[in-house]
Amino acid sequence: MANRRVLVKRRKAVKNIRKITRTMQLIATARFQAAYQRAEATKPYSAKLAELVADLSRAAGSTEHPLLQENDADTKALVVLSSNRGLCGGYNANVLRTAVGHLDDERNSNSSVHMVGKKGISYFRFLGRETHAQITDIDDRPRFEQVEPLANELIEKFVAGEICSVHVAYMKFISAGRQVPVVEQLLPLAPETAVENQEAEAGTSVEYEFSPDPQTLLDELLPASVRIRLFQSFTDAAVSEQVARMVAMKAATDAAGDMITTLTRQYNRARQTHITMELLDIVGGANALA
Amino acid sequence: MAEANYGKVTQVIGSTLDAQFEEDRLPAIYNALKVDVTQTILGETVTETLYCEVAQHLGGGKVRAVSLGSTDGLSRGAQIEDMGAPISVPVGEEILGRVFNLVGEPIDGRGPVEAKATRPIHTEPPELANLSSKTEMFETGIKVVDLLCPLIRGGKTGLFGGAGVGKTVIIQELIARLARYHDGYSCFAGVGERTREGNDLWLEMQEAQIGDTGKSVIDQTVMVFGQMNEPPGARLRVALSALTMAENFRDQTGKDTLLFIDNIFRFSQAGSEVSALLGRMPSAVGYQPTLGTEMGELQERITSTNQGAVTSIQAIYVPADDYTDPAPATAFAHLDSTVNLERSIAEKGIYPAVDPLASTSRLVAPELIGERHYGVARQVQQILQRYKDLQDIIAILGVDELSEEDKLTVARARKIEIFLSQPFFVAEQFTGFAGNYCSLEDTIRSFEELCAGKWDHLPEDAFRYVGKIEEAAEKAEQMAKAA
Repeated sequence: MANRRVLVKRRKAVKNIRKITRTMQLIATARFQAAYQRAEATKPYSAKLAELVADLSRAAGSTEHPLLQENDADTKALVVLSSNRGLCGGYNANVLRTAVGHLDDERNSNSSVHMVGKKGISYFRFLGRETHAQITDIDDRPRFEQVEPLANELIEKFVAGEICSVHVAYMKFISAGRQVPVVEQLLPLAPETAVENQEAEAGTSVEYEFSPDPQTLLDELLPASVRIRLFQSFTDAAVSEQVARMVAMKAATDAAGDMITTLTRQYNRARQTHITMELLDIVGGANALA
Repeated sequence: MAEANYGKVTQVIGSTLDAQFEEDRLPAIYNALKVDVTQTILGETVTETLYCEVAQHLGGGKVRAVSLGSTDGLSRGAQIEDMGAPISVPVGEEILGRVFNLVGEPIDGRGPVEAKATRPIHTEPPELANLSSKTEMFETGIKVVDLLCPLIRGGKTGLFGGAGVGKTVIIQELIARLARYHDGYSCFAGVGERTREGNDLWLEMQEAQIGDTGKSVIDQTVMVFGQMNEPPGARLRVALSALTMAENFRDQTGKDTLLFIDNIFRFSQAGSEVSALLGRMPSAVGYQPTLGTEMGELQERITSTNQGAVTSIQAIYVPADDYTDPAPATAFAHLDSTVNLERSIAEKGIYPAVDPLASTSRLVAPELIGERHYGVARQVQQILQRYKDLQDIIAILGVDELSEEDKLTVARARKIEIFLSQPFFVAEQFTGFAGNYCSLEDTIRSFEELCAGKWDHLPEDAFRYVGKIEEAAEKAEQMAKAA
């Protein structure tokens, strides 16, 4: 039976695939740890920053900063964070589906899409949708200097009144077992995020004296808070990507294992059938001659 | 005619027997022998005539014959008569509407048949120069068959399939579709299959009408049965009997004749059962060494000549779903069109379970069926092949890892796969769907549009058991309403 050779070949192929997926699973696990620590490391800074902004805006009394104001431009910006590499299960598909859903909801206003990651770029090209900017040089270890230019560009455009809002679509990391694709508003900074924690910390908050005056400080700090929030989306996305890859590769390794078992069984059976058949032929022939 | 030549039975081994004749009056090979078997059953004495066929000359006036009926009750020493000629069956218009066994005796209980002529079941195949070379498509209205493995008028079609994938249902469906709109005659040979199925078919043919002439299909049909209960000798020759009747229609009336055989594998199997008893050494997988010759002798006679066409449709059982088994493999080479039925497709609930990648026809060539039909057929196969290639990747990595183009291909392939199902007329009472005839033009257009992505928006289930593509769209609407 020619069947056997085919089975052997297929089994070999599946074994090779399993070798790869298992390795990738291990790498993803290691990278996940690193990415997770990096993401966690930015948290104290951003929390403090938010606190400070809250204090300041209370001290400043008014919230008339341009980054907090809606403007009447008719273009909305959307930053989509996808990955550069595949083999991470439904990670990209989920983010992109959410992003496309968001774009479809906002169909009646212009959207300019800033696409991060090769997978998203090729998906949008496949759909025939336009992307305003394409960024592929940010890998799974986003550095602040890489994210900063994008944040600055968005802030500038927003302040100049070219765009009326900025949203970010990415995979939010909640826990190792749960990541949710979300679209979050980055600009205008919603007042509740700007003055986040105000209530909770009202009791312990201290009246500071600011120098220079709070308004000047806010001019400096609000853009910083936008930048750090965008950066956090990037680190979150990086963690989620590694988790997704870890899970996908684990499932693939298991599936390949099952397949190898099935193929081995099929092969053994085919082999045994062949042997039996040959024996029968020989014995039958010998008996007929006897 | 010379005076009767009698001999004596000297040995009975299962379904073969030896007889002693006078050395200078030996019956020729393939001659029929006749012996009366008297048996007492429940106190009643019954005498039956048993026919045998000479297979070997053993020397010393001895012949070895294959019994064409049960040898129960036969004893050594019984007188056996050489009939001087091979088995002959009645032929001509008088036999229409009747049911026969392989020796040409009616078994439908409607009295004797007044046939004007008989014809021996062993003859030479038509000569090379007389063969017809027409290639014309025979439209069945079954989408998958018309698109990928079209039947040829005057050609041979094989329906391959393992146990229980629907060979008999398809052959009955084809009878219902073709015989009903066919103005020539039809012959049906039941070879080693269930007797019940033969009975069902017989009753159905009596009810079914030909077009709107008011005549029932059976009036244009002859049926010959040698079913599972018969000894191997009978199953070995019943196909020849039916074929002989069909040949006569072809040669005498010149009309197109349909010949249905269910199941040709049983012919090979019967050959293998008697082979060892005849003292031949078994060959590969225990089959008779003469497997190819036997199949060739039968198949070469099923052919179209200048006088008329015989279109034959044969069901071929594939033991253990192994297409490399010698029996189906020898039949393979004789066919113009092969329809392969696949268990994995039947398991998905897609009937007819035709394997779109393995089924093929000599007709699938641009110069025979036209560029358009050919293009669509190949495109459908390409998409399905791509899906098949991707299946391992999907099984291991999941569908999310495919590129967008491949995802689309997979989605279309799944729809095409389901769209290849079709409700059958003969299965109406089982499926609850009315039978559906899809014209060739509709079939080609439907698949063309499906491949081009015009119907990507319909859900998969809308493609299940519908005819042309518009019916899928209707079904999708109904589903949306119901939901």
